[in-house]
Amino acid sequence: MNHLESFLSWSTISFEIVVCSFVFTRNVKRILPLFAVYACVLLSCGIGLLFTYEFFGFSSLTSYYVYWGTILLSAVARSLAIAELCRFGLRGYRGIWALVWRVLMVLSILLLARAASDAWGQPNRVAIYGTTLDRDLALASIAILAVLLLIRNYYGLALEPLQRAIAAGICFICAVDVIGNVILRNLYTGSLFSWFLTSQKSLWPALRPQIMRVNDIWSTVHLLSFMFSMGIWCFALRKPLPAPSESPVLLPVEVYREMSPAINMRLATFNDRLVELLKP
Amino acid sequence: MNELNMVILLAIVLSGVLLWLLIPRHKKSRADIASFHSNLNDALPSARHYAYFRQIRQALSAADAKYIVENAPPQVAKQALRDRRAVARRFLKGLHEDFSNLARLGRIIAALSPEVSHKQETERFILGLKFQFLYALVWLRLSTGNLPLQQLEDLTGLVGRLAMRLDTAMTEISALSAGQVAGRIGA
Repeated sequence: MNHLESFLSWSTISFEIVVCSFVFTRNVKRILPLFAVYACVLLSCGIGLLFTYEFFGFSSLTSYYVYWGTILLSAVARSLAIAELCRFGLRGYRGIWALVWRVLMVLSILLLARAASDAWGQPNRVAIYGTTLDRDLALASIAILAVLLLIRNYYGLALEPLQRAIAAGICFICAVDVIGNVILRNLYTGSLFSWFLTSQKSLWPALRPQIMRVNDIWSTVHLLSFMFSMGIWCFALRKPLPAPSESPVLLPVEVYREMSPAINMRLATFNDRLVELLKP
Repeated sequence: MNELNMVILLAIVLSGVLLWLLIPRHKKSRADIASFHSNLNDALPSARHYAYFRQIRQALSAADAKYIVENAPPQVAKQALRDRRAVARRFLKGLHEDFSNLARLGRIIAALSPEVSHKQETERFILGLKFQFLYALVWLRLSTGNLPLQQLEDLTGLVGRLAMRLDTAMTEISALSAGQVAGRIGA
């Protein structure tokens, strides 16, 4: 591990400690327990990875597997935090939530199935599996958050500032991860593929500097984006959290049953008249 | 475009959409829902643009256009006709606002309902998309010089009825939310 990587790793862990401190002092687990778990998982992974590097060496096979393990563990924790964001604030609106969770569930299953099938077809190498799966999970996270926000926007249900900051941070990490993983995967499966083939062992010494350089650049970009996102979360958590908003008072179900078809019928008639306007 | 560029572009577009959606808006927000019970009339201004149709009709009438063309200098007549089209477009924009208010009422009722039908919600969503498309076409037609006054009048009549229905609906919901007619609904 060179000086820059060492500095970035320690900086990231410092940020993670600050985020975890905020999470505990602000009692975030009261409203977003899975985000609190995500913050703890990030810190645990960071510390675990650093210890692994110290004990087994940065370039050891153990470190290599632990690194990819932490990446996938973080992705799972992130997905749970996103699921919580989806549920937060909408559960009070029972009708809409019943509609939204089904839409998001179908979308999640489709995107996860795509991620699994994409990773399945890759050459049997952890790094290529990892980059493919991480890329697809990050893309799925962005897509699910975007759909959630579109639905909330459509029904006029804005996110609270803290949840908005968490979503923005996750979105930034995911966007950088997608772009980085796409480039990295292309290099691994392209010009650097010989690195993963034992039959091409004679090329490994020549490829080693390139592999190290690619990994260095990717680690730097990944850790910097990570710190930026954690900065967003720290900023959102700098003030005590407001009291949880009260559940909305819902209308009797008969209002919807009576009004909704009537409104739709009127809107349809409106469209019919617009069509008439267009007739020559 | 290879896979690399496509995925990167998709990630950037999706992130852009997401960040745009994360920008706080004061117009469309939880405030709509919060104010729904307390002040329905402020939260949902009723359809009102149709009320000006008589003046619009007068201003856009064929007789007026003929009079202008025959009596005014060519430059002035041209300018006046252009202004008439602009007025018609603005009137159409007002009708668009009336439609949006009704659609918004539907969405707020759905948000505040303990049960919603996915069929109704999908239908309203598609109707909204269709309206946007048709509105753009009508707007283009007005911009190119055609002023279908009779159809515009029909449309206005519809909006007028919508406005009345909207007022009745809001009164009913206001009463329901205050629990004044709970017994009637239960019966």
